Amino acid sequence: MALYGYAGKILRLDLTAQRATEIDTAKYRSWGGGHGLGSALFWEFCKDKTIKDGRNPANVIVVASSPLNGTLVPSAGRSEVVGVGLGMYPYSWYTRSGFGGRFGTMLRQAGFDAIVIEGRASSPVWVDVRNRKVVFHDASALWGTDTQTAQERIWAQMGVPRGTDTGWWDLNASAAEALDPATDQGRTTQKPAILTIGQAGENQTGGGGLVHDAGNIAAVAGFGGVWGSKNLKAISVIGTGEIPVADAKALLRARQVTKEKYVSDLQQPDFAAWTKIGKQPKLMAMVPPPTDEFRPQACQGCISGCRARYSVGYGSETKCQVTSWYFAPSRRVAKSSQELIEINLRAADAAQRYGINTYFAITGLHWLEHLVEEGVLGPGKAIPSNLPWDKYGTLEFAEKLIHALSCREDIGADLADGWVQAAHKWGRAEDLRTGHMAFSYWGQPDHGYDPRAEVEWGYGSILGDRDICEHCFNIIFTNITSSFAFAQPMRIQAKDLVGIIAEKLSPYAKNRPEVLDYGDENMYSENVAQLVRWHRHYTRFYKQSALYCDLRWPDFYNTNTPDNRGATASDDAGEHVWWNAVTGDTLSFDDGIEIGRRIWNLDNAIWTLQGRHRDIVHFAPYIYETHFEKGELFPFYMWPCRDEQGQWVYRDIMGRTMDRRKFEEFKTSFYRLEGWDTASGWPTRATLEGLGLREVADTLEAAGRLGKERA
Amino acid sequence: MAQDPARSEGASRRAFLAASAATGCAVFAGPGVLLADGRFVIPNSAGFLVVDTKKCQGCGTCMMACSLAHTGRASYTLSRIQVLQDSFARWPDDLALAQCRQCQNAPCVEVCPTGANHADAKFGHVRRIDQSLCIGCKSCVAACPFTPDRVQWDHGGRKAQKCDLCAETPYLDAPGGPDGVQACVRVCPVGAIAFVREMPDQTREDSYQANLRDWVWKRLGMTMEK
Repeated sequence: MALYGYAGKILRLDLTAQRATEIDTAKYRSWGGGHGLGSALFWEFCKDKTIKDGRNPANVIVVASSPLNGTLVPSAGRSEVVGVGLGMYPYSWYTRSGFGGRFGTMLRQAGFDAIVIEGRASSPVWVDVRNRKVVFHDASALWGTDTQTAQERIWAQMGVPRGTDTGWWDLNASAAEALDPATDQGRTTQKPAILTIGQAGENQTGGGGLVHDAGNIAAVAGFGGVWGSKNLKAISVIGTGEIPVADAKALLRARQVTKEKYVSDLQQPDFAAWTKIGKQPKLMAMVPPPTDEFRPQACQGCISGCRARYSVGYGSETKCQVTSWYFAPSRRVAKSSQELIEINLRAADAAQRYGINTYFAITGLHWLEHLVEEGVLGPGKAIPSNLPWDKYGTLEFAEKLIHALSCREDIGADLADGWVQAAHKWGRAEDLRTGHMAFSYWGQPDHGYDPRAEVEWGYGSILGDRDICEHCFNIIFTNITSSFAFAQPMRIQAKDLVGIIAEKLSPYAKNRPEVLDYGDENMYSENVAQLVRWHRHYTRFYKQSALYCDLRWPDFYNTNTPDNRGATASDDAGEHVWWNAVTGDTLSFDDGIEIGRRIWNLDNAIWTLQGRHRDIVHFAPYIYETHFEKGELFPFYMWPCRDEQGQWVYRDIMGRTMDRRKFEEFKTSFYRLEGWDTASGWPTRATLEGLGLREVADTLEAAGRLGKERA
Repeated sequence: MAQDPARSEGASRRAFLAASAATGCAVFAGPGVLLADGRFVIPNSAGFLVVDTKKCQGCGTCMMACSLAHTGRASYTLSRIQVLQDSFARWPDDLALAQCRQCQNAPCVEVCPTGANHADAKFGHVRRIDQSLCIGCKSCVAACPFTPDRVQWDHGGRKAQKCDLCAETPYLDAPGGPDGVQACVRVCPVGAIAFVREMPDQTREDSYQANLRDWVWKRLGMTMEK
C-alpha cells in the first residue's frame, strides 16, 4: 500500500561508529510526522530516558519533517527537532524546537522523513546525504567556523556553484563513491539544504542553536550545544526524489480556495485584516527595513513570506525577536533611525552566524543592566566582566556579548550552562523573587507575554517542557492591544470574537467561549484548563507534527471572509483537509486533536522518567510574589473578559499576580482532566492504555513512576 | 557543471532538411518549416510566461503546483519552472526564476528526432513534448541555450519534459494551455508570474522579466522600481 505523503525511510546516524542505516517509516505512521514521529523514535532509541542534560551521550536527537512539507499545503514547510535539551532549570527536559526554510522539503526529496542522531563522534564530522546515500566527512577544518561560513564551505566541498546563474546539478557526477552508478540519480537546480551549528553549539552552550541557510534557527532548547557535544557540525541534504500524494487535485483545489477565500486580495488588499493565514507578505521584523530594495522571503510552501532578503547584504532571512533582541540598548546610542535599524539587523546577523538563541535578551538584558547598575557586574566587580559596558548599545558591544556567550568567555563562562544556574552561582537568586530576573519557567525567560496575564501561554509552558512560543491565542492580544494602542477600530467585538474561536475548540471546549475569559475570577478555572488541554493537543499534532507554521495557523477568525470565520477546522481548507489530501487519511479535525493528546501523553511519560513531579511544576517565585506591572510591548494587556454583568468586553488585565494556592488547584484540575495522577502529575495506566501505549505504562511501572488511578 | 551529453540524431534530421531546402524550396517538417535560408520556423506560441524575479518570495509553491498538476507527485526535479536561490547573496541576485520561454525558433523542437517535442496546434502551438513519442535522447535538453536549460529530465521515466503552459495537467481542475489556467500563475502567493499573449523580444535575454509590482507592493514597503 502506498505511503502517501512520506518518503518512506528514516535515516539513523550512529555517530560513534559513523554508520548510517535506514528504517521504514510505515511502523511510525500513526504518529504523523515531526514531533510525534520524533517522540516515538526517541522513546524507542534513547536507552536512558532519565537523563537531564542533553550532553549525555545517551541523548538521541531527531530532526523530522512532515508529510505536508513541499506539497503546497500553505505554510507547512517547517522542520521539528526533539531530544533532551540543554541549559534549562532545574532539569533540561525532553523538549522541542523548530525551524523554517527548505530543509524538511529537501530531506524528503533526498529520500528520508526524519533523521535519528545517536551516539557521539570521536572527532568533528559533517554528514552528506544525497538521494539516500550517506557519507560522513571530517569536519575538523569546519570546526570554529560560523554558520554561514560552514554552509558555504560545505557547498564548495561538494562542488555546488554559488549564485543563481547556475544550471542543473547532475547528481550522477557528484560524490561517485556514495551514489549507485547503475541508477540515474537525476538533476536538480537546488542547492543542498544544510543544518549546522556555529560556535555557540560547538562550545556546548545552552543557547546553542541549529541554523539553516541565513536565518532559520532552531534556537530554544540548546540542541546546538547537544550537537556540539556529539561532535556533529552539520548535516547536508539534497535529492531529486518525489513525494506521492493521495489526492493532488484536492490539494490544488484547496490551495485555490484558500487564496480566494481566506487571503486578502492582492489587487485590493485589506492591510489591517485580522487573520493569520490571510495576511499579505509583510515583513515580520521588529525594526523597519533598511531599504525598500528587498523581497519577501518564505519557507517552502508558505502562502505569505515573513522574512526578507535585502540589497544591503545584512539582516537577510531573519525575523521577529531576532531582529530586535538588542533594540532597547541600541535606542540609547543610535542617532538616527537608519543607524538603529542597522545596529539591530547586524546584531541579528551576529546571533545567526554564531548560532545562538537570542531569547535570553527578552528579559536577560534587563537583568544584566540591573547588575551593572547595582555595581556588582563589571571590571573588577563581584561578578567580573571585561565586556565594554561603557559601549552598551553599540553594535560593537552586541557582537562582543554574542561572542562571549557563544564561546564561554567572560560572563559567558557561567551563563553558558544556564542563566538561572548562573544567577544561583553569582548569589543572585533573590532576583528571581523580585522579578529583576524575569525568567518565568524552566530557567527560560518570559517571552514578553507574562504568565499572569496570558495564562494559556504560562500554563502551557510550565505544564510542558519549555516556553511554548505558540501564538495560537496570542494573536488575540496582538490584534486587540495594537488596535487599542494605535486607536484603530476593533474589527471584531469581544463577544463575537470569543464565539467564533469557541466554535473551533472542539472537542473539549466547543462553543464554550467562557474558556477564553482570562478575568481574575476565571483564570484558575476548569474552563481555562480545558483551553490549555486543547492548546497542548492541537499544537502537538497540527503545529509540531503536521508542522503548520505558528505564524499562519491556527486561523480562528479572518476578516477577509464574509462571516469572519477563519480556515482552521473548516471543511474547505482546514488543517485536516490538507492532511487527508496528502496522506489519504480520513481524519476529522477532532481526530487530529486526539493524535496530539497521544503525543502529549508520550512526552509526559518521558518527563516522568526524567524526574517530573507536580511539586517542581512551579513558576519562578516572582510570578507569585510580585505583580505584573510592566509589559514588554505595551503598558497594558488587553484581553476578552466577562464583566460584572456577564457581558464580554476587552479589558486590561495587567497588574495582577498569580496565587500559588489557586495555581495548585488549577494543576489538580488539569491533571484530572488529562487522566493523570493528581498527586504526582504522572500519566496513569488507564490513560496510557487507552491511547495504545501499554508498553509505555509498563516502563513507567517498572521505574516506580506510574500514576495511580483515581479512586 | 556537468551537463548531459548531447545526442546527434537531431543534427542528422536537420541535415536532411537542409539538403532538401537547398533545392530552393521551403520544406515542411511536420509542424515546422525549414526555410531556404536555413531558419527553422514554427508557429508562434499563443502565450508566454513572464516573471518578476525581484518580486518572487522563493516559496517554491509554483514548483510544487507544477509537478503536482502534471504528475500528481511533489518534486522539484520534475517541475517545469525552476526557482534558484542563494541564501547568502544580496537582492536581487539572490534568486532567479527559470521558466520556459516558448521560443519563437525553439531549438529544442528543431533538434527532436521523433517530433515528440513539437508546437502543438491543439494548444496554441505551445512547445510540448509528447511523452508517447519521446525516446529519451536528451537532444532537446542539450539544445536549450539557456542556463539552466528549460527542459527537465525525468530520470525515473527516462524521458524529457517541458513546460506546456499546463496543456496536459490531469490533476488541475480547470482547463490549461494558452487559453486556460497555468498552475504556477494561479498559485503564486505574490503574483510574481504572469501569462501574456504578446511574444517578448526574442533577441534579448531579459525580455521575459517583467515588473509586476504595484502600489500594493510599495505599500508593503518594497520597491516598485524596475
